[in-house]
Amino acid sequence: MISIKLVNRRISRRATMLMGAAALVAHGLGSVPAKAQDGGGLGTPEAPVNLRIMADAAYGNAWQEVMVPEFNKKYPNIKVTIDPVPYTELLAKQMLDATSSDPVYDILVLDDPWTPQVAETGALLDIRNETAQWTLPDYDWDDFNAAPLAATQWKGVQYGVPMRSNMLLMFVNKTLYEKAGLPVPTPDLTWEEYLEQAPKLVQDTNGDGVVDAWAIDTYFKRDPLTPTIWQSIFNANGGRLLDDGGKPAFNDEIGVKALELHAELLKYAPPGSVSHGYSEALASFRQGQVATSFNWGSVYRNSAVDPKTTTLTPDQVGLQVLPVGAKMGGSNRGIASGTIQAKSKNKEAAWAFLQWFSSKEGEKHHVNNLGGFPARKSTLAATPEPGNEWLIPVFTALQQGFDFIEAGEMWRVRHPKSDAVQQALADAVAAVISGQSNAKDALDEAARRAARTLR
Amino acid sequence: MSNVQIDTQHRRRFRKEKLLDLMSRWTFMFPAGFILIAMLAYPIVYTIDISFALIDLTTFRVAEWVGWDNYTYVLGDSRFWASLKVTAIYLALSLPIQMILGFGIAYLINVEWKGRGFVRALFLIPMVVAPVVAGGVWRMMLDPLYGLTNYLLGFVGLGPYDWLGDTWLAMWTIVIIDTWRWTPFIVLIATASILNLSKDIFEAASIDGANWWTKLWSISIPLLLPMIAATFIVRWLGAVKMFDIALSATGGGPGASTQVINLFIYEEAFRSLYFAEAAAMAVLVLVGTMMLTGVFLYGSRKLEDLY
Repeated sequence: MISIKLVNRRISRRATMLMGAAALVAHGLGSVPAKAQDGGGLGTPEAPVNLRIMADAAYGNAWQEVMVPEFNKKYPNIKVTIDPVPYTELLAKQMLDATSSDPVYDILVLDDPWTPQVAETGALLDIRNETAQWTLPDYDWDDFNAAPLAATQWKGVQYGVPMRSNMLLMFVNKTLYEKAGLPVPTPDLTWEEYLEQAPKLVQDTNGDGVVDAWAIDTYFKRDPLTPTIWQSIFNANGGRLLDDGGKPAFNDEIGVKALELHAELLKYAPPGSVSHGYSEALASFRQGQVATSFNWGSVYRNSAVDPKTTTLTPDQVGLQVLPVGAKMGGSNRGIASGTIQAKSKNKEAAWAFLQWFSSKEGEKHHVNNLGGFPARKSTLAATPEPGNEWLIPVFTALQQGFDFIEAGEMWRVRHPKSDAVQQALADAVAAVISGQSNAKDALDEAARRAARTLR
Repeated sequence: MSNVQIDTQHRRRFRKEKLLDLMSRWTFMFPAGFILIAMLAYPIVYTIDISFALIDLTTFRVAEWVGWDNYTYVLGDSRFWASLKVTAIYLALSLPIQMILGFGIAYLINVEWKGRGFVRALFLIPMVVAPVVAGGVWRMMLDPLYGLTNYLLGFVGLGPYDWLGDTWLAMWTIVIIDTWRWTPFIVLIATASILNLSKDIFEAASIDGANWWTKLWSISIPLLLPMIAATFIVRWLGAVKMFDIALSATGGGPGASTQVINLFIYEEAFRSLYFAEAAAMAVLVLVGTMMLTGVFLYGSRKLEDLY
């Protein structure tokens, strides 16, 4: 009898534990928190709209600190949260959110070549037609330069508006040109002249017998953006990435010569430049070590104006398009554009934010407070606020850049699989620059991979 | 109550108890089992699943089953084989260096001295530094223009070396960073193993007149061999999946000279968005790694039998 009682007690304890565990599991599975609701429309003080934006970390934090408070002066009931994501992870995360049945983000800030890919998922709103009812009468679409606006066009639909109109430009350290006894470059500088001057720009500036300044630093490392340098040379000489049938056309003679020229630049670059990209090229220019740098124009403020980040001053730094090839000067487009998710429950508020950001007023605030590059012709033609006079020559370079970009189709491949083509080009350029392949073979291999991607 | 009735009651109770026991075991195992399946088995099954498919990037779902096409493509891709070769070079250089350094340092510091615990704690620092941070810091130190490494080497008349720009030196750079990061881990395991060795054997050897070298070669190494083999396997499994250091230090360059297989898979999947082909590569690497790990485990057991 004693043993039976003990068994009963043991069963009872087990049963209790079992029930407890089952209750815990049931509670865990059943306690999914309810989704927050917001006010819709433009919000009210009692029920503000919560906007979520996914943007590149390179500028997302600055927008949150500088642009959002200014926006909230006009729209106090729209709470904006910008989630900064590192560039290398941005596309994958945006694609995951875009293809989700219940996306988290209302606005996706896309890089230049990504619109086709995200638009093909059906995730983006036709921003020109589907928001027309909320568009303010003074929002002037025709005031945009065609090139930045085209970044978010795909199959005849406008999916976004330019928020940061970056482009590849040539930064010039005028002091190093003067020390070398060379004339300061103008936008008419040709590639022949550039290469003729380059050896003289590798110099010993302080007379200690050691070379301490070089002609160039730019993208040389294996990086998806390195081919933009090759492409700017290629486009300036009349080359086109794809033919009229959408097949790779870059492995022609112009492409091969452009790649050989890109690799030749390494001769006039600082030691170790083969592993240099955006950050390293920027650092060597800011430290006054190189006479020229081909980089994204948006870094001008931190390279020439802000004493906390550069040793140079605006008087020392010139900004212009890349040297002129057989057809025109060179550049490459890098527009960050704001798009609205078609499944967003806050479309009106999202458009209010994008509309303000890309308006004349928003662009002006962006330019004067963050040195952001505008897309509107009127902003580029306007005189910047006092204290920002450095923007005058920058605006001239930008306007010229936009004109060349449009004329020479200076953008990365526009296709849902653009990044795969860019990676194939990155591998080709890296193989040639590191000496692991010749230009013809490398471009042929890239064309083969691109053709498979684009088929 | 007859004996038959009591026996039947006992059997029923026993069955009920057994059932409850079984249910309670499974209930407690369920959360852990669920997490394990969700976190480990599901991704592996999903990877295998999509490796036989064409992925529609507009929905991230399987658009079409393509059989072995992705595997055929991957096996015919020279870049896949090139990155495997790079991985083999990296493993062949880094694993022996880390094992020899790790056990060597552990043997040398295995004497009683004040502050030994503090020094051992210091060894943990490289392991807790994020690989991306480590890669970035090393990049700065190895910069040919303003890096500390070339500056210091200059005092002894060496360099300057282009650590990240030369194809062969870039591989050594990866090996050096990886060694800096993981040798302390081996030192810690090795130290614990050495401390566990019976002192009696060494005392007996000393009485017999064995010198330092004899004790090392004839006693310590044979006794430590099973632990050396086990550590090697743990380290091999860690090293074979390395890609973060290569990504942050060299980005796989110059050219593709440091593009280890996992970096290649990562780039194909998340930059080129070739998820299905990348999944096929991941499966091939998984199978290859499992086979080699099996060989190493077999060797390890043989060593345990021997000593």
